[in-house]
Amino acid sequence: MRGDRSTGSANDLAKDEVHVLTSTRILARRRLGTAGATPHVTAQPRRRRRTRGFVQVAGAVAAERLRLNMFGHAYVGVGAVVIGLLFYLALAAQITQASYDMSRLQDQQRQLIAEQDQLRYQEVTMHAPAMVQQQAAQSGMQRVVPSSYVAGSPVAIDLTTPLGASPADATPLWMRAVATVVNAVGGTRDVMAATKH
Amino acid sequence: MLVVAAVLAGMVWSRLAYWQVVQHGRLAMQAQAQYREFVQLPALRGAIFDRNLKQLVVNTTVYSAFVSPDQVAAGDRDRVATGLSSVLGADKAKVMTTLASNTKFAYIQRRFAKTKADQLRPLKLPGVGLQEETQRSYLPGIATGSTLAANVLGFVDWNGDGKYGVEQNYQQVLGGTPGFISSYRDLANREIVLGTHTHQDPINGQDLVLSLDANIQYAAEQALADGVKRDNAESGSVLIMDPNTGGIVAWADYPSYNANDFNHTDPALFKDNIVGSVYEPGSVMKVVTLSGAMNAGAITPDTVINDPGVLSVGGYRIYDWDRRNHGNVDYTYVLAHSLNVGAMKAMQAEGHPAFYSNLQAFGLTKPSGIDVADENCLLPPAADKMSDSQYATASFGQGIDVNMVQMLAAINVVANGGKYAPPHVVERVGTHINPVLLQPQRQAISPQTAAKMTAMMQQVVQHGSGWTSRIKGFELDQAGKTGTSQIPVNGQYTQDVWASFVGFLPAQHPKFTMLVVIRKPHYPGADRDWTLNDGYMTAEPIWKTIAQSLVVDWHITPDPH
Repeated sequence: MRGDRSTGSANDLAKDEVHVLTSTRILARRRLGTAGATPHVTAQPRRRRRTRGFVQVAGAVAAERLRLNMFGHAYVGVGAVVIGLLFYLALAAQITQASYDMSRLQDQQRQLIAEQDQLRYQEVTMHAPAMVQQQAAQSGMQRVVPSSYVAGSPVAIDLTTPLGASPADATPLWMRAVATVVNAVGGTRDVMAATKH
Repeated sequence: MLVVAAVLAGMVWSRLAYWQVVQHGRLAMQAQAQYREFVQLPALRGAIFDRNLKQLVVNTTVYSAFVSPDQVAAGDRDRVATGLSSVLGADKAKVMTTLASNTKFAYIQRRFAKTKADQLRPLKLPGVGLQEETQRSYLPGIATGSTLAANVLGFVDWNGDGKYGVEQNYQQVLGGTPGFISSYRDLANREIVLGTHTHQDPINGQDLVLSLDANIQYAAEQALADGVKRDNAESGSVLIMDPNTGGIVAWADYPSYNANDFNHTDPALFKDNIVGSVYEPGSVMKVVTLSGAMNAGAITPDTVINDPGVLSVGGYRIYDWDRRNHGNVDYTYVLAHSLNVGAMKAMQAEGHPAFYSNLQAFGLTKPSGIDVADENCLLPPAADKMSDSQYATASFGQGIDVNMVQMLAAINVVANGGKYAPPHVVERVGTHINPVLLQPQRQAISPQTAAKMTAMMQQVVQHGSGWTSRIKGFELDQAGKTGTSQIPVNGQYTQDVWASFVGFLPAQHPKFTMLVVIRKPHYPGADRDWTLNDGYMTAEPIWKTIAQSLVVDWHITPDPH
C-alpha cells in the first residue's frame, strides 16, 4: 500500500509522508530527488505526529482484548492501589523491624559497655596496692624492710689508668720446645689456661 | 462603613503581624520542641594514670531506678514495692507511699551497680524505669572508708563536674566536649527513623598521666594513718617530690575520705590540708634563712656566733626553744640544734632586704601555682611593711604562713642544686608533656651554697634533731630538718603545735624530697614533757617509714663514701 504511494506524485508524497515512519533525512532526500524538476513547488506544512506512550498502547490493547467495562476499570484501579498499599506496608514493616533491631542492639551495646567498664574496674582494682597487700597478707606474706644496706665503697680498680704494653712471654725456651713435642705427639692442649699469672 | 472596615482589618492584620513577626522566634522554638528531639551525647571523661601508667580512675556505668506513680495501677503497687525493696533494699513502706502519691516521677535509688539492674530488669515492673549514668570509680585506699589519693584527685559530682584536686583543675581537659543528635519524633514521641538527623560526635576527654606513684602513695597513706593515730594528732599530711622535676610523687592526708561515696561524706573532709591550708613552718624555715645568708656571703657553715639563748628584737625577747645559753657555736651547730637566736643573727647579718629577696627566690611570697584546685596561701606583707620582730620570727618560721607545697618546693631548692623546680602533679596531658617540665628551672641559690646547706642538713640527721629519721645504711646519706611551731588562735600562741620534718636522700644525689606535717599531736607523755610533741618524735618516724618503702621500691642505694 505504502509502496504504491511512494510511486505517486510529489504532492501526494508530501501529504502522506507524515504517516510514514521514516527519518527526516530520508524524507529530505526523497523531497530533493522528486522535487528537483519543480523547485518552486512549496511543500505542505508538516504536522508533527503525536506518539502514543507504552501505557496508552498497552492499556488500549488490554482494553481491546479484555473488553473491560467501567467496573472492570475500577477493579483494576483498586487492585493496583491495594498492591501499592501492600508494598508500602511491607516496606514500613521492614523499617519498623529494623528500627526495633537497632534499638535492641543499641541497648545490648550499652549493656556490654557497662559490663566492660565493670570488668575494667575489677581488673584495675585487682592491681591496686590495697588489694595486692590484702592478697599478700592472705597468702601469709609480709613486707619486710631490709635490716641493713651495704654501704658503697670506693672502687678499688683505677679504671682510668692506661693498660700499657702486654707482658712478654717469660716461658723458658726448653719448656716451649718440650710443649711443642708433647703437643705434636699427644695432641694440642691449652697449656696457658692452667698457667698462674 | 469603609473606615470601620479598615479599622477592623487593621486590627486583624496587626494581630497577625504580632503573632507572625514579633512572636515568630518563640513560637518556632515551641513548635520545634514538640517535634524535634535533641539528645546530648556525653563525652567520655579522660582516665588518670600514675607515673607507671597504673590506672587510678575508671569510668563505670551505674543505674538509677525511678518510678512514675501515675503509671502504676493500684493493684500493682504491692508487687512493684516488693520487687524494688527485694532487689534494691529500698524501704517497702516508703516505696508504697511514693506510689500512692500524685507525683509523676520519683527516684527510688540512685547509682547502684549493674548486677542490681540485671536483677531488676526481668521483673518487668510497671511504671519502673532504669536510667544509665556514668560514674568515676576510684581505687580502694588503706581502709574501707577511703580511696587512694582522694585529696589530690578530687572527685566528679553527679553532674559530671570535677570537684577538688586534679579533677577540678583539669575539668576542661578531662571532660571533653559533648556531642548531640537532633532528630524528629512523632506524636507518640518515637523517633522518625527516616527523618532528618543532625549528628555531632562528642570529643572525648584527654587522659592525664600524673607524677604520682600509686605504691608510694599507698605506703605514705598507711604510714601517715598509723602515725597520726599513734601521736593522738588531729590530722597529718605527707608530700613527696621528685627533686629534679618538681613532680609530686605522693600526696597523702589523714583523715581522708571515700571519693566513691562523696555524697555521704562530711564536706569538711574535702578540704585538703596540703594546698588548702597554711601553717607556720617553724624551724624548717631555718634552711631557707641560712641558705640565703650563705648565698649572700653573710655567713658560712663555720662562722661562729655567740648564742646566749635569747635575743631582744623590736622590744621583744625571743628565746631558743630550750632557753639555754649555748655560748660560741658555728652555724652547722645552729642548724643541727635548731637555735632561733642563730637564725635571727643570720637574718640580721644579711639584712632585711636580702632576707626578703631570699624568701622571693625560694617562692614563699607567691602561690606555688601547683596544678591542683583551691590553692590557699597567706602571703607575707611587703618588705617595707614588716616590722623588725616580724623579720626576726620569720627567720625561724613563726609569724609567716605557707602551705606545704610552697615549703617543700623551697626546701627542694637545696636538693636540686640551688634550682627551683616548679611543683606539679600532671606530667602529661594526652600526648603532650606538661609545659612546666620544658621550661628551664630558675637558679635560686648557687650550687655551692646548696652543697654547703646539704652538708649542714646531713649533720642535723647525724648529730642533731634528725636522729630518729635515720635509716640503716643511709645514716651518712640523709639530709633533713625538723620543725615545730606553736599554733596561734585569735592572735595568741597556744600549746598545740604543728610538728614537721623535711628531708631528702641520698644527700648528694637525692631521689626524693619529703615533708611530713602533723597537726596538734598529743604524744603519749607529752603532758609531762611537751618536747615529745616535737617533729623528731612525731613527724620523723613517719618520714622514716615512708622513706624505707621508697628505698625498697625505687631500689635506692647509698652514696659511696
